[in-house]
Amino acid sequence: MIWRLDTILLLFLVATSLIVVRSKDLLAASLIFGAYSLIMCIVWQQLSAPDIALTEAAVGAGVTTVLFIVTISKTTRKEEE
Amino acid sequence: MSLSLFLSKMGTNFNYVVAITLFTIGLYAVVAKNNLIKKFIGLNIMETSCFLLYISMGAVKGGRAPIWTEGMKKTTLFVNPIPQALILTGIVVAVSTTSLALSLMIKIYEHCGTLDAEKLKRMETE
Amino acid sequence: MKRALVFFSLLLCFGIMLIAVVNMPPMGDPKSMMMTGPPGRAPIPRYLSEGRQEAGAENIITDIILNYRGYDTNGEVTVIFTALMAVLAVLNRERKNVSYCDIETSPVKRSVVVYTIVRIMLPFILLFSLYVILFGEVGPGGGFQGGTIIAAAAIIFILIFGYSQGMERFPTTWRMNFEGIAPLTFIAMGIIGLFLGRNYLTFMFPGFSHASNLLLARSMLMIIEIGIGAGGAFIFTSIFFAMQREDKS
Repeated sequence: MIWRLDTILLLFLVATSLIVVRSKDLLAASLIFGAYSLIMCIVWQQLSAPDIALTEAAVGAGVTTVLFIVTISKTTRKEEE
Repeated sequence: MSLSLFLSKMGTNFNYVVAITLFTIGLYAVVAKNNLIKKFIGLNIMETSCFLLYISMGAVKGGRAPIWTEGMKKTTLFVNPIPQALILTGIVVAVSTTSLALSLMIKIYEHCGTLDAEKLKRMETE
Repeated sequence: MKRALVFFSLLLCFGIMLIAVVNMPPMGDPKSMMMTGPPGRAPIPRYLSEGRQEAGAENIITDIILNYRGYDTNGEVTVIFTALMAVLAVLNRERKNVSYCDIETSPVKRSVVVYTIVRIMLPFILLFSLYVILFGEVGPGGGFQGGTIIAAAAIIFILIFGYSQGMERFPTTWRMNFEGIAPLTFIAMGIIGLFLGRNYLTFMFPGFSHASNLLLARSMLMIIEIGIGAGGAFIFTSIFFAMQREDKS
């Protein structure tokens, strides 16, 4: 029953994006954003789009997450309230 | 239309509903959060939700990835290839704007000492 | 008050989009591929069945982005190059003997496990990225994907081995010369069509036989892919160096 895998992955997407938006620690937010990118990559594979899956994996986990962590290391780590 | 019809249509188009949910979550992060980096993460979530909507529109039940390998005939069912080609360009544009925005934030922190949108607005009007 | 207003307007937005999305045609319908058009020229069935003979690649998506919709890819490589220029305009480039990086002065000891694993895995990651670039026409992959994997491997190398080793292996002068490869290769391959009397971005010419035309189209696609891959790798490595540097004041 492969459609159940699709449904569970999409619900995971919504859950991780909620956690990213609500967390106060910016380093944790960027790491969970990397996990969000990886789950999105598997969703692309389930929709038969292998090129997009490769691109999202390389760009999301390889470049975007690293750039976020570099920026956080040069600026604040906690979100001020 | 009746409630059961509405819910069954939501079930068929589940990918679309998740895409607009993610769009709303990203929009909330852009509008309601004060930190610039958090706003930017929200913008990224909005972009990936648009990609999800677009590629789900091109999916076909039982379709294969659009790559010709051995043993495929002219009657094989393929997935729509055009949205994937357009989204490839979209992902590159997204990563370009990400890198530029993050380097601007580094400079803002060097000059103003804070990344909070309210404090920056007050500093500007002093 | 402000929170209630934000919440209410977001709910309104979500409601409108929900009504629109529910009324869309059902997902996964095979009828969505049959766009109307003159018979034999409706785009999607034509790209899928004639793509191999008209453009030369077996991966239909590489076909589309480099041949049928080549202008868009031209714009895309220009956008990524412009992003590099903008980042370098905002943050200056690193200068030798003045720039350093926090990793070497950090009090946290470097972990033996991470160091050993990175040393073992780096050659395989580079080999895989070369495979992804060169096999972009036959399987999934392509130029940009491979270039980003090379950049990710270079970033891991710099993070684990230290900034001075990174500056030694990827010196600025060498990187500076190669950042513009991606738009230059694309435009060069496109202008060949102009010189031989046809349109910009033509890969098949009337004077040759069909088999040699296919060979010509495939080699030109391969050159463009290698250009985009190498260009992307250099651009992302330079962006990382520019963001990471600090100058001794």
